[in-house]
Amino acid sequence: MTKKIFRSIFTVALVVLLASIGIATSFLYGYFNNAQVKQLKAELSLVANAVNEVGIEYFENFDSNVFRFTVIDADGTVLYDTHADASRMENHGEREEIVGAFQSGTGSSARNSFTLTEKTFYEATLLENGEVLRISVSQLTVGALILDMLPAIIAIILVAAVVAFILAEAMAKKVTDPLMRLDLEHPVENNTYEELTPILTKVHKQHKQIKSQTETLRRKTDEFEQIISSMNEGLVLLDEHGMILSMNTAAQKIFAVKKDVKGSDFLLVDRTSKMSKAVWSALEGSHIEYTEQRNGNEYQFTVNPIKSEDKILGAVIFAFDITDRAFAERNRREFTANVTHELKTPLQSIIGSAELLENGLVKPEDVGRFVGNIRKEATRLVSLINDIIRLSQLDENHEPATEDVDLGEVAREVMEVLTVAAAKRNVELEMEGEGSRICGVRRYVYEIIYNLCDNAIRYNKEGGKVIIKLGQEEGHAFVSVQDTGIGIAAEHQSRIFERFYRVDKSHSKDTGGTGLGLSIVKHAVQYHNGKMTLVSEPGKGTCIKVVF
Amino acid sequence: MRSRFDEQLSLLNKKMIGMGALCEEIIAFVAKALLNGDVQGAGEVMLQGREIDQMEREIEAICLKLLLQQQPVAKDLRAISAALKMITDMERIGDQAEDIAEIIPFLDGRTGAEFSDFKPMAEATCRMVTDSIEAYVKQDITLAKSVVVHDDVVDEAFGRMKEMLIKKISENNADGEYAVDLLMIAKYFERIGDHAVNIAEWVEFSVTGVHKGE
Repeated sequence: MTKKIFRSIFTVALVVLLASIGIATSFLYGYFNNAQVKQLKAELSLVANAVNEVGIEYFENFDSNVFRFTVIDADGTVLYDTHADASRMENHGEREEIVGAFQSGTGSSARNSFTLTEKTFYEATLLENGEVLRISVSQLTVGALILDMLPAIIAIILVAAVVAFILAEAMAKKVTDPLMRLDLEHPVENNTYEELTPILTKVHKQHKQIKSQTETLRRKTDEFEQIISSMNEGLVLLDEHGMILSMNTAAQKIFAVKKDVKGSDFLLVDRTSKMSKAVWSALEGSHIEYTEQRNGNEYQFTVNPIKSEDKILGAVIFAFDITDRAFAERNRREFTANVTHELKTPLQSIIGSAELLENGLVKPEDVGRFVGNIRKEATRLVSLINDIIRLSQLDENHEPATEDVDLGEVAREVMEVLTVAAAKRNVELEMEGEGSRICGVRRYVYEIIYNLCDNAIRYNKEGGKVIIKLGQEEGHAFVSVQDTGIGIAAEHQSRIFERFYRVDKSHSKDTGGTGLGLSIVKHAVQYHNGKMTLVSEPGKGTCIKVVF
Repeated sequence: MRSRFDEQLSLLNKKMIGMGALCEEIIAFVAKALLNGDVQGAGEVMLQGREIDQMEREIEAICLKLLLQQQPVAKDLRAISAALKMITDMERIGDQAEDIAEIIPFLDGRTGAEFSDFKPMAEATCRMVTDSIEAYVKQDITLAKSVVVHDDVVDEAFGRMKEMLIKKISENNADGEYAVDLLMIAKYFERIGDHAVNIAEWVEFSVTGVHKGE
């Protein structure tokens, strides 16, 4: 702005200066020309009178530096000249002023010199003797005059420039100072040029608008942050380069993030190949969903692209804790498996007895007992199915009926059922101690003892022994099943109660069983709030004790 | 020009983390398969191994391109050259995990008493790999140094394992092939541990400019 002001002031000064010089010069030049011509004429008439009186001799004592006089004969020959040798001068008969003088008594003309630096004025008059007297004077032309004045003009221009510069700066400062000191934070409070008022009012309005919009935006962000931070599901927002824009508290917990990771690459938070692939493909526009175990919980991760007008702006990661759902699902699966296992056991007993009968291996006097056995097992099957119906009701918050259970009676029943299996593997089955009565679910107690004994027989050595001990301990009834079998190594002991867990995978087919027995025992014991202890040594045998 | 350089560096970093994560996963997977006597997982491991090989070539190409086109200096040069060294170790980890996976079917699902030593060994090895990658991701020198310390655990476990197997063989009550397979697996774990240490050392180099070997 200062520059512009300086430029205009300087230009104005220069133009004014040049114009005034031009005007003054041309006006003065014209005036002086006129004066010159008048003076010439006056001088000429004086000298003409004198020459008329005295003749050409008048010039002998004549001394004039300013004016030049020439006397010309009627035929144009120069008779005399004050400044030059007349005999050498050419014929002047054709000159304009001479011709004029011969014709009308006076003549005048003006001619530029060859170099254009001088201008000569001529006045001529006819003398009484028929000769012509001419007076002439030379003066500088306008161009030469200006050329003459040039140093002065340049000096003036320089002075003008300096003055213009100082003035321009001072003025520019004065003009711009209020603009520079404008307080744009409070536009309407400024006391400055009124020409600026519309702009300042507009700025003020926009200020207010921006403020209110920022406020709205902040409120919305706050709301959003509030909502996502109180969410149970993990939520992570990523930009199009995979940088974290936002991560809620739940997500921080899931991804085990301690400090604020906003703005860092999500890869630094979670680098599992599944997740990074999911993020990559989400940023390329596809939707990915997968489940994964993390710090003991099961999570479902959903990664979605964020699109706006077909442009991918980023990705959003949702993490749902589906541990409970997965657990319920597993329970259901487990239940189905347990059901089939439980249904199979009495059927196997029935098949066993029936096979013996079929092959005629049963003595006629024992037939009744075997048939009774079949009936008993079939009845158990029915009661089992009834129980399953009851259990499914239990799932809908029905509790199975507890009753008085005689452990000894149950143990004897189990022994009876398992005699055949024990005999097959050449294992001796014994019972020690007196069973006491507990309050529990008879079928569950049966399952506990049955499965423990079944395992004890199954994983026994040829000619081994299984001892079922019953008794009381610190006021609680207990059952323990001791075998002389293969035993369980320490690292497996914590895991054998898991569903389908097998200690020795290679022998699984030899011993039969489905691997569900002990997990059924565990659930049944848990149901009775019982405690189970396992003592085992590989090669020597196992003792599992259940305290009710 | 510089921003393009930074972009490429960040791409390199991302790829490195991705490859590291693959290594962590492959070794964890193999360890789990081994301890559970899972014979089925070998195919999965081969796939992951191939992916690791692929990543190695990709990262190598990025590194060479960076070196040729950008003439990096100081920290960037260290990061790139360390990356070049690290991917070799990572690739070896992948290979050895594959080797273990190849042996697992021959164990026939046996997870006998010998495995009691495998568990701490496999766990320590997994931990070392995870820590060395974590140290790279976070450029954490303390963590990198702890990896080196962990190596002793793996080495000791390998020593115990070897002695036990020698004893078994000399007592003539071990299936020779089985014993050798176990020894091979133990050796692979021990080697993987060493590679993890190498990675940790290169992390240290890329941060501080001092390599342990010097």
